[in-house]
Amino acid sequence: MMLRNTQLATFLLRSLSIATLGLTLLAPAAYAADPVTLTLYNGQHKEVGDNLAAAFEAKTGIHVNVRKGSSNQLASQIMEEGDRSPADVFYAEESPPLNSLGEQGFLAKADDSTLQALPKEYVAANGTWIGVTARTRVVAFNPKKISEDQLPKSVLDFADPQWQGKIGFVPTSGAFQEQAVAIIKLHGRDAAEEWLTGLRAFGKTYTNNMVALKAVENGEVAAVLVNNYYWFALQREKGQLDSKLHYFTDGDAGGLITVSSAGVIKASKHPKEAQQLLAYMASEEGQRVITNTTAEYPMRKGMVSERGLKPFEELQPPKVTPADLGNAEEALDLERDVGLL
Amino acid sequence: MLSAAQPARFTPTRKKPSIWLLLPVLLLVGLSLLPLLYVGTKAWQAGWSEALHLLWRPYVFGLMRNTLLLMVGVTLTCALVGLSLAWLLERSNLAGRRLWGVVLCLPFAVPAFVSSFTWVSLSASFEGLGGAILVMSLSKYPLIFLPVAATLRNLDPALEESARTLGQNRWGVFFKITLPLLWPSLLAGSLLIALHMLVEFGALSIIGLQTFTTAIYQQFELEFSNANAAMLSAVLLVMCLSLLWLELKVRGKGRHIRIGQGAARHAEQVNLGKWSLPGQLYCLALAVIGSGIPLGMLAYWLIKGSSAAFPLAEIGEALFSSLSLALGGAALCLVLAVPVGLLVVRYKGPLAIWAERLPYLLHALPGLVIALALVYFALHYVPALYQTSALLLIAYALLFLPLAQAPIRTALNKAAPQLEEAARTLGATSFTAFCRVTLPIIFPALGAAFALVFLDAMKELTATLLLSPTGLNTLATQVWSHTSNIEFAAAAPYAALLILVSGLPVYLLTTRMYLSR
Repeated sequence: MMLRNTQLATFLLRSLSIATLGLTLLAPAAYAADPVTLTLYNGQHKEVGDNLAAAFEAKTGIHVNVRKGSSNQLASQIMEEGDRSPADVFYAEESPPLNSLGEQGFLAKADDSTLQALPKEYVAANGTWIGVTARTRVVAFNPKKISEDQLPKSVLDFADPQWQGKIGFVPTSGAFQEQAVAIIKLHGRDAAEEWLTGLRAFGKTYTNNMVALKAVENGEVAAVLVNNYYWFALQREKGQLDSKLHYFTDGDAGGLITVSSAGVIKASKHPKEAQQLLAYMASEEGQRVITNTTAEYPMRKGMVSERGLKPFEELQPPKVTPADLGNAEEALDLERDVGLL
Repeated sequence: MLSAAQPARFTPTRKKPSIWLLLPVLLLVGLSLLPLLYVGTKAWQAGWSEALHLLWRPYVFGLMRNTLLLMVGVTLTCALVGLSLAWLLERSNLAGRRLWGVVLCLPFAVPAFVSSFTWVSLSASFEGLGGAILVMSLSKYPLIFLPVAATLRNLDPALEESARTLGQNRWGVFFKITLPLLWPSLLAGSLLIALHMLVEFGALSIIGLQTFTTAIYQQFELEFSNANAAMLSAVLLVMCLSLLWLELKVRGKGRHIRIGQGAARHAEQVNLGKWSLPGQLYCLALAVIGSGIPLGMLAYWLIKGSSAAFPLAEIGEALFSSLSLALGGAALCLVLAVPVGLLVVRYKGPLAIWAERLPYLLHALPGLVIALALVYFALHYVPALYQTSALLLIAYALLFLPLAQAPIRTALNKAAPQLEEAARTLGATSFTAFCRVTLPIIFPALGAAFALVFLDAMKELTATLLLSPTGLNTLATQVWSHTSNIEFAAAAPYAALLILVSGLPVYLLTTRMYLSR
């Protein structure tokens, strides 16, 4: 009996150590074994990155590992990783994270053919990143709670006591921060600070845009500041929606156009394949995969969305380009100053 | 919880422990200091005045307020519920006490972030502080109920009876005799719950209450590794370590010593009379809101979700990742816990004292801060570990070592070193002697330790979110990411699997430990 126990114990100890060793060694080794596996740092929505990776692999045979995170987090991560970054391509929901990476020399220049497929104002001046798709800021509102004509002319008017508990927003969202920068550019820092202070005092904060939109849909709040495509995502899931979208006009900051964007990391060990993935994102096929997953406007010249969006040329956005938005750091500082973050 | 008193300790025969014992202990002590080092480094980089500036602002005061209100609210609620329930089930003649005892511990089977998702999916009105206190209390009260019930059961009724013969009424006896006797287990449970509230992330982020832990994660999402996150971590560390200090202080005092065994018998049961209906209703209400609603809502989403697509491949992949990470974590914990236990039991000296205190220290460290520190140090000093499962397993070892410590130490106390010495006089090397003599003796304890760590590691969320290798999802991270997009039906299969594979065994283990004595 004693002997059997001893043997069992030794066996268990051995298998435990082997298991531990195996598990710790296997994971990194598995990635290293494959000659070309790309790593995509994905700050865009999970399904968008996953569908893109699957379509790219189907076309080229190159496997893409996707690491999901928030765009801001992944951008700072790439800076902190520096030369050691395991990322080959970075895909962000917004342009500012790529802008700051590009300015600080963490991105490689995109291939000319990729840059030329896209409108000039939506690629980086130094060619380090491309705008992949466009989206517009909107107000989603619930007609049971408020009628469209009661909505203000300008997004700035939401920072008012009469909107107490009726307006929702997402202070951590990159697009919200871009909107704050647009207000700084259009109306000055003081106006933006006043706007954020008012929203903090009277509005309801949500953890992400989908949560905010569902709160409107369920009638918990009358209106929320979000991006247009969330509404189409929820509509696809539920069929019929109670909530509706309101588009700001006359170049108001409430109708800001922002772009999701992507770039090749300078430290990439597979620059050729990484450029191939970036080119695929700008290609007709890649743009279709992306815009059929998320209802954003395709950026490639001559393409239009198949998702029944308000036509791009009918939008009346403010004249604020991704270049104007810069790295959006001012917005983060301002949000911290007023106590939102 | 570790039991503190170890009366007959063997006199150490070897003064100097071998390097194989020292190495793991030193490694663990070093690793557990990393969070402090991380906070220090980041504050140093930012400059102390900037660091102070980041802390001394209304936003941080708001976090402090939320964190403290949650901590106090949940701990008090749990103490009230746990105490009343323990009395009702141990000292009254309530019908169906045994059954209630089993049913009312069911919250142990449901991880807090799963039950919070079921509540939020029921109605958005459960978001915020009130909802958080409700949901967290309902999932944590067994941590007070079980130990207090066990103490009540084992109390010598003679003390209370003497008090009654001396003229005290029932309430007098309860407050002057029973409560002081229950105080140590009540306090230990309360401090544990308070600590859990400080480090809880998943449930609170789903309920939408900003505390230090959720704010640290938010800062991580905004800027990866930054001074803001580090400074908030500093506050959280100070709070956690204060609770640890409090617990160590309390643990030493207030021990009630009984001289002589006395006759083993149970206390007289109080006849509830007309109060038995309210008593039944109380238990029923607790059962309904404590486990009925979470499990019911989960079943609802499961049925609703299975009508839609059921991504079998993804579910299988997440299950496999969870299983292999938890197995690896449990194995690593054992490999580290045995030397630490040996050092504590067989040697004296400063290192043994450190080894003895180590599990308490580790238990008070927030998982999120451990993960942040590991990311930072791996990236800058050990890049080979960065984004590997090895780093995640190290985090698991730090987080779950305390669970493995208790059973292993108790077992090692029973394995007399003389046996090993006898084996060595017969020509065995010290390693062989350990493997063939001590290991078989502590074998069952190793099994128990392995199971405890494995089951808890299955449910781990925070460290896994930050440290997992690219492309790896576990059941817990899948529940969390689907829930944060309000895709409740999509989260349900992962949550159900989590309960089946990890929750139910935890429930069975814990309740058996306390209830079927």
